[in-house]
Amino acid sequence: MRFGLTLLGLASLGCCCCSFAGGPDASAVRQKLAQAILSEGQEQQRLLGELADSASKIVADVLNAWSRDGVYLYNSPDNSKVPVLLEESEDASGKARAIRIDNGQYLKDAQGVELRFSRSDLNSADTDMRLRSAIQQTLDTLALADPDAAARRSAVLKLGNSRKQRYLPVLQSRLARETDATVRKAIAEALALLELGAPDPKVQLAAVEQLGRLRALGSLDVLKGVVARTDCPPDLARSARKAINSIEEHLWWVNFFGTIFHGLSLGSILLVVALGLAITFGLMGIINMAHGEMIAVGAYACYVVQNLFGAGFGFSITLPFNFAGKPISFGLHLPGLNAAGWYYESYFLLALPLSFISAALAGLFIERTVIRFLYRRPLESLLATWGISLVMQQCFRMIFGANNVQVNSPSWLLGHFAIHDVSFGYNRVFVICLAAVIVFATWLLLTQTSLGLLIRAVMQNRSMAACLGVRTTRINMLTFAFGSGLAGLAGAFLSQIGNVGPSLGQTYIVDSFMTVVLGGVGSIVGTVCSALGIGTADQVLQQTTGSPVTGKIVVLVAIIIFLQWKPGGLFTIRGRSLD
Amino acid sequence: MGRTGTKSAKWGLGIAAVVIVVVIPSLNAFTPPGGLFHVSDFSINLYGKYLCYAILAVGVDMLWGYTGLLSLGQALFFTLGGYMMGMHLMRMIGDLGQYHQPIPDFLVFLGWHNLPAFWRPFDSFPFALLMAFLLPGLVALTFGYLAFRSRIRGVYFSILTQALTYAACLLFFRNSLLMGGNNGFTDFKFLLHHDLRVPATQRGLYVVTALVLLLVYAGCRWLSQTKFGLVQQAIRDSENRVLFSGYAAGYYKLFVFVLCALIAAAGGALYVPQVGIINPSEMSPEKSLEAVVWVAVGGRGTLVGPILGAIGVNALKSWTTRAFPDLWLLILGTLFVLVTVFMPKGIVGLPEQLHALRRPFGAKLTPAAPGPPEPEQESAKTR
Amino acid sequence: MKKYSITLAACALMLAGSSICQASDTIKVGILHSLSGTMAISETSLRDTLLFAFDEINKAGGVKIGDKSYMIEPVIVDGASNWPLFAEKAKQLLEEDKVAVVFGCWTSVSRKSVLPVFEKDNGLLFYPVQYEGEELSKNIFYTAEAVNQQATPAVDFLLAQGKKKFYLIGTDYVYPQTTNLILYKYLLLHGIALGDIGGGLRKDDSGKVISAGKYTPFGHTDYQQIVAEIKQFAASGDACVVNTINGDSNVPFFKEVAAAGLTPADCPVVSFSLAEDELRALPTKDLVGELGCWTYFMSLNTSVNKNFLDRWNAWLKTENHPGVVKEKRAVDSPMVLSYNGAYLWKAAVEKAGTFDVDKIRETLESGAISFDGPGGKITMDKNHHATKNVYIGETRANGQFKILKSFDQVFGEPFLLKGLDEKLNK
Repeated sequence: MRFGLTLLGLASLGCCCCSFAGGPDASAVRQKLAQAILSEGQEQQRLLGELADSASKIVADVLNAWSRDGVYLYNSPDNSKVPVLLEESEDASGKARAIRIDNGQYLKDAQGVELRFSRSDLNSADTDMRLRSAIQQTLDTLALADPDAAARRSAVLKLGNSRKQRYLPVLQSRLARETDATVRKAIAEALALLELGAPDPKVQLAAVEQLGRLRALGSLDVLKGVVARTDCPPDLARSARKAINSIEEHLWWVNFFGTIFHGLSLGSILLVVALGLAITFGLMGIINMAHGEMIAVGAYACYVVQNLFGAGFGFSITLPFNFAGKPISFGLHLPGLNAAGWYYESYFLLALPLSFISAALAGLFIERTVIRFLYRRPLESLLATWGISLVMQQCFRMIFGANNVQVNSPSWLLGHFAIHDVSFGYNRVFVICLAAVIVFATWLLLTQTSLGLLIRAVMQNRSMAACLGVRTTRINMLTFAFGSGLAGLAGAFLSQIGNVGPSLGQTYIVDSFMTVVLGGVGSIVGTVCSALGIGTADQVLQQTTGSPVTGKIVVLVAIIIFLQWKPGGLFTIRGRSLD
Repeated sequence: MGRTGTKSAKWGLGIAAVVIVVVIPSLNAFTPPGGLFHVSDFSINLYGKYLCYAILAVGVDMLWGYTGLLSLGQALFFTLGGYMMGMHLMRMIGDLGQYHQPIPDFLVFLGWHNLPAFWRPFDSFPFALLMAFLLPGLVALTFGYLAFRSRIRGVYFSILTQALTYAACLLFFRNSLLMGGNNGFTDFKFLLHHDLRVPATQRGLYVVTALVLLLVYAGCRWLSQTKFGLVQQAIRDSENRVLFSGYAAGYYKLFVFVLCALIAAAGGALYVPQVGIINPSEMSPEKSLEAVVWVAVGGRGTLVGPILGAIGVNALKSWTTRAFPDLWLLILGTLFVLVTVFMPKGIVGLPEQLHALRRPFGAKLTPAAPGPPEPEQESAKTR
Repeated sequence: MKKYSITLAACALMLAGSSICQASDTIKVGILHSLSGTMAISETSLRDTLLFAFDEINKAGGVKIGDKSYMIEPVIVDGASNWPLFAEKAKQLLEEDKVAVVFGCWTSVSRKSVLPVFEKDNGLLFYPVQYEGEELSKNIFYTAEAVNQQATPAVDFLLAQGKKKFYLIGTDYVYPQTTNLILYKYLLLHGIALGDIGGGLRKDDSGKVISAGKYTPFGHTDYQQIVAEIKQFAASGDACVVNTINGDSNVPFFKEVAAAGLTPADCPVVSFSLAEDELRALPTKDLVGELGCWTYFMSLNTSVNKNFLDRWNAWLKTENHPGVVKEKRAVDSPMVLSYNGAYLWKAAVEKAGTFDVDKIRETLESGAISFDGPGGKITMDKNHHATKNVYIGETRANGQFKILKSFDQVFGEPFLLKGLDEKLNK
């Protein structure tokens, strides 16, 4: 929805100039806009206040551009400054036409030829924090008429928090026309907040009761301030306290559900990270300390795809050895597609399968070169894979640099939605859903396909399966590749939520081992249960103890103690052999 | 092990011991600085550090090479021993710290005015020494008892020790634990009325470390040749058969686990005054893995192997971080991979491997890699 | 036989390696930074700027004493984000390589672990990274920002903007803990109510506050709960966040802030450990309007700065030191302070006429050594800290800062806690 607004804004700025030509009303607004941009201080604030009442789309677009340094000042030959916007579409030399704000026409020189500028040719109109918050307030007032309900709601709440009485009539007239239920509730809350500042004590009392009824979270501080006032009449204090109690109870429930959601999202991340490990560990007996680096491979693949869709990707490595007097270096440069808009935002959809494939290929390579010697020696596989993880980390450092790299979330994953004040972030909901899909797909693979049957056979008794004609080397390769591919997918998710750097893998290694061991090695159901359980327990403990670390320590110790009682984990696969 | 029983090997070990304990410190004390045979103060300090690591490595090997338990948490006990000694050293700074207060610097800038109660007994050296063994020992006893009682073995045991050391690491990083937090303990000045900054004290510490290493080596060698040692190695080879033969394998494992924790703690307590700083990152899982790597590179199942591995790998690390600061992780990582895959018996077993390769044509060739099947439970199952 | 011969050979090698002779007319200078491990992200850039400074000095003829010119020969060692290794490398630089001066360290723990080494061997260390103060060693010169050159000016700025609620969040180690304690006392002195300082307070047995704010460990990635708490804290408007999270954890923190819909217009976040270098890895579109406070910004519009950036970019194109990344470089305050440190040392050596540490210390303490750096004039003072300009900026979408306010020639004062305590108790 917000993206729709941005797209609308960009489109209206860029393509049609006809929308900028308007009737006499529009031109008066435009003149005022241009004046506001050129003026300063009190005058500017006053003009912005007036523009807030104009209810014009043009104002919203220009103000949005202004707060993002998108309004430029052209020094015309007669020494006056003309505020302009630059068109989106650029010609071959990177220059775009300029649109005058005061009349909506293209900027022309004395001969009537349209002038073209590149972004660095013009100075942008300066904004500072105070101006930007004034622009924001103007935008908020304008946003009261926004088609998007969420934008209306947040605008209403901001007006309420401002405690400025002059917004009362605006909000009341909005309430009469509002159809959306959540926005109506928000308007009621904002009105109550504003009425708290009214001189009449009866109005104040009604406002306090209203806030309690509405369970308005944002008004908690204000209500506490009311109670703390020395000149507060006793009935007002009483009803304020009642309101505070009901709001705090609501807050408790919000935190409760919020914690459960956070636990689910943390658990689903752990699940995706640990599922690949559960497969390689459980099905093959290989402890893969390089699993974290597979995650990093997936995350970096996401970064590369993002760059390929953008400006291109390149790297160069210089070795500290000299050959014929010059240092040895090699590099690679790939041109980018320079995509924009929806085309660019869709890079993530391509990045997901590519992360899977690249991590699977890396896993395949490792399996063929090193792991295949180590199947009967699980402890050696630990050491060898740790050595591999060191090598891979250093390779990441050499190719991508020791710094973290920037991976931007696509805009359709940004933001959040709220149900009864509990906010759910889109990227986390996406991770939860996709984790469920992945688990389902893995379950399908393992139980419904013939490959899955072979994998399970090899896991139960490798030698017997080989005797029955199963090509165990091929199964090993495919399983390890699959497990690594899952890790790559986890890396793609993690790139949206955290940072992408050479030591990304190290942060998740211990947690993923714990999840796998707790869930029971070789059991997918076990991994799901333990991941969700650990995630939820961690978040609940964080909520109750107030410190993020204590929760983690308690969870670890609890797992260690739990494993004394059930050494095989939650769901053990019982075989007939002694070990 | 058979090889080290031979007379020439015994002579070799004896000469090495004399070199380490007597010759090197004398070269530091009695030859002129800058001369050809002079061992600089920096080097003595460095060698002392290597020897502490060697002590840790011997402990890891006793657990892994002789009992078959791969513990990824030995660095925890090493660091705990170091912390106990460090607490005493912090008290010995007196008021010579940055703030010239009678309590340690980090407590001052955390806002404390008086010493917390649990710090007070550490003024006495015997108490600190006792705690350096008692605390790691108790932790090992508790954890080991719980783990071995439920017959946790193999890979699970390793991962659990890793979790234990990770949890402890997180705990010690917290400033609210009043153990220095991320800064740890540093800026030590005095130990037993000797100034730590004087070369003579460092030399003395080096000699003590070398003697402790010899003691640990001799003790472990003796233990491995008693009946206890035989049971220990039998547990490594096949724990089930040991159980069926009527031995309470759990108690043997517990004893060895606690013993190795004490060995690691001794190494840690000697490490801290020589390095001058202790910090929770010493008990991170990576450090324990490094210790395991020293043993693997040196040769596990022998007692000389871990010493060689610890000294060799650390020397290599010191050199590569200087010579190739950008590539040293690559070098170290590749080394570990190659050693694990192609040299399962480590450096000590290398002559044997090469000898096996040199067999004349026509005779049955035993492949040098990946080596004889390891005496783990898995291969016992397939026999 | 084979075992002890290996040991003997190793010993012989180490003996042989310890005697390194210095070539004539060069002077060895140490660079002690983490080139691998968690801190490599930040510290490799400092190594690069130092190499640039040394190349420039050498090209201009080196360090001149009398009529002799000495070329600088840098000795680079990798501390690997491992604090005991820092101490070992410091010892190595001072005792084996016998360097004249060391430029290095980033984290306070690395500095504290090498401090005893420098005091024992009477070495010289130039430390360039903003830190918590409360320290003064005769062997260290701090070109770094002290708390009154970074944290308190930023808080002053926010107070002037009308912010009344401050949420303190940081990584759990000495720099954020001490800075937040100082800021807590500072805010109380400026009339902010106790309930309006967010993040939690921890008290000792006697009830005195010993820690203020919320702390997460290094490498922490899960900020959901904390950001939800901040959102509730900021629900009434007038709130801001003081962020001393260090390193990697900033990325998940800001991604969470963006996902929760906390905009800089509602609740600005001022970060003390984020500069242009770290912003390269952050989603800067979401950070537009967040604040930073340093003694240098890459967007400074002075001729000295522009000249410096041109020379830096030219050097990047032609240099061939191993490990220096050439693409997409940014320059930030710690890098410039390292660069300034190199030139301050050169000026002190040339004025004192010797490489002797004690004489150089005297010269620097005299207050006569200053340098026109890219961030403005920087002068070393008697208290081993540097007087320099302070700038407050806000993030732009391209990862640069727009300068909002500047304070000229602020004197660096490392010891603040005692003074604040006295004022509070009055």
